[in-house]
Amino acid sequence: MVCLSPAGDPAHAAAVVIEFKNVGKIYKSLLGNSVQAVEEFSLSVRDGEILGIAGPNGAGKSTLISLMLGYLRPTTGAVEIGGMPARDYVEQNGIGYLSELISINPRWKAESALVRYATLAGISDNEIPRRVQYVIELLGLEEHRDKKVKALSKGNLQRLGLAQALLRDERILVLDEPTHGLDPVWTQRFRDIVGDLRRPDRTMLIASHNLDELQRLADRVAIIDRGRLQRVVSTTYEAAAPATTRFRLTLASGFDLVTAAFPNAEEVGKGEYDVTVQSITDLNTSLVNLIGRGALIASVVPERSVLEQQFREAVGEPR
Amino acid sequence: MRGRLAKYSLWQFRDFFMQHGIGIAVIGLLWGYTLLAPLRAAMSVQSTVIPMGPGSPMWNLVLQITSVVVSLSVLIAMNGIVSTDRKSGYYRFLFSKPINRVLYYTQMFFVYMVGVILIMALLSSLLRIILPSFNVAYFLLYAALVYIAMGGIGFLLSVSTRYDWLTLAAVWLGSRTLRAIYSGPQAGWKGKAVQLLPPVHRLDDVANSLIGTGSAHLPDVVWLVGYGAVCFVIGLVILRYGSLAD
Repeated sequence: MVCLSPAGDPAHAAAVVIEFKNVGKIYKSLLGNSVQAVEEFSLSVRDGEILGIAGPNGAGKSTLISLMLGYLRPTTGAVEIGGMPARDYVEQNGIGYLSELISINPRWKAESALVRYATLAGISDNEIPRRVQYVIELLGLEEHRDKKVKALSKGNLQRLGLAQALLRDERILVLDEPTHGLDPVWTQRFRDIVGDLRRPDRTMLIASHNLDELQRLADRVAIIDRGRLQRVVSTTYEAAAPATTRFRLTLASGFDLVTAAFPNAEEVGKGEYDVTVQSITDLNTSLVNLIGRGALIASVVPERSVLEQQFREAVGEPR
Repeated sequence: MRGRLAKYSLWQFRDFFMQHGIGIAVIGLLWGYTLLAPLRAAMSVQSTVIPMGPGSPMWNLVLQITSVVVSLSVLIAMNGIVSTDRKSGYYRFLFSKPINRVLYYTQMFFVYMVGVILIMALLSSLLRIILPSFNVAYFLLYAALVYIAMGGIGFLLSVSTRYDWLTLAAVWLGSRTLRAIYSGPQAGWKGKAVQLLPPVHRLDDVANSLIGTGSAHLPDVVWLVGYGAVCFVIGLVILRYGSLAD
């Protein structure tokens, strides 16, 4: 398990693109009440990286993104993108951004909304129809293009939000709860789209409650709680070296062979067994043993993903 | 690649027309019709035009109606010019694009000004059909002046509050009332304090002379335009250095 210190960086050489430098944000009300939304937050995101941001409700994820886009000013510290103050970068270069709440004027039609955003994004008149058509097809919005935004379902609105973020070939993409409201088919489709967007010169930030999603998509995940960075976790199993890990085995046949390969296996029914191993190497050795004895394995799933394990350690049980 | 803000002005103009312009035109027509038609009937005017000249009672009534329509139009135009984007969260997608928010709202302010002037041109041209002595150009000059004076304050309020049209109406009417109450040397510090309020008390004289003759007392014009322009610039400064998100 690679568990970096809050300000730590992964050991690869790509250039730092986004840098949070000891950022703090305090919201103050007119009555003098104040809330510390983000506190002493430092983190670097490198070129080509997909960074996940995870945290419980109210942890400060959306505030961090607003600070990064220049919608909020930090109370302390600074956010830099490409070596420039974040807001200057956004004003000069733009960022592909999908917000958690999709706020598009409900009177606009879906396609005309995309044309407007394309104009603001600096796409030329000749290019706009082609780009708009591309994102409409990519996000399956063909039959909704002439509908007013207020007539779109939650899922279609989410897809329209993603479409406007992908209008331009942005170098930086920020996706806040991107699969919120999407059905399972479009959730999978979204994951495929993000996979296709990965490029050595493109940096992506994905904030999500869905740890499984971040485990699949992100290279690292920053876990935040109460406005503080708790830890940064690598999502790769190669890097992980757990002392003890539990997995769930599902067998198609050879149920009576399980205890020979996994002496501590616990049957949970329907051909499923929970096994505890000391390492990934142990797991593989035991699986080879089990297969060698003639068992047919249908699936091997960790009881908790690397990320989920780390998240629970950092944040505790759901509050 | 920078955003194409100038090209986007066409969309801003469309938004103005759909969200404010139609309402302004309808209110202007109804206001003018409901006040002028009965008067015309009462005066037993047989021809299609109403004879009148500057200084006549009819002229004063027309002045009052037209200046109220202009003020209402600016109030409607300024409603939510910035605050709607903030309240509704529209700023999130708009300003993730490579555009400068100060330029975006400056352009919007002037696009809306063009919209208000065009509708005032339409309404005053209709008015001129029954009042041939009414000068459209002078009236448009007055409308532009009120747009800067009142719109500048409205813009600042829209940047800094959620309930901009309500506060603008309160500031506009409140200034008139407070200035009337605390005028003269006996008002003391209150009299001095109300001098900081918008100089709306100068509007009546400016309306009278500008719509009637095309000229106005220069210090009054400078006060009105200057006050609005300063408020507008303060609004831009807040946009530049403040936060868009709540």
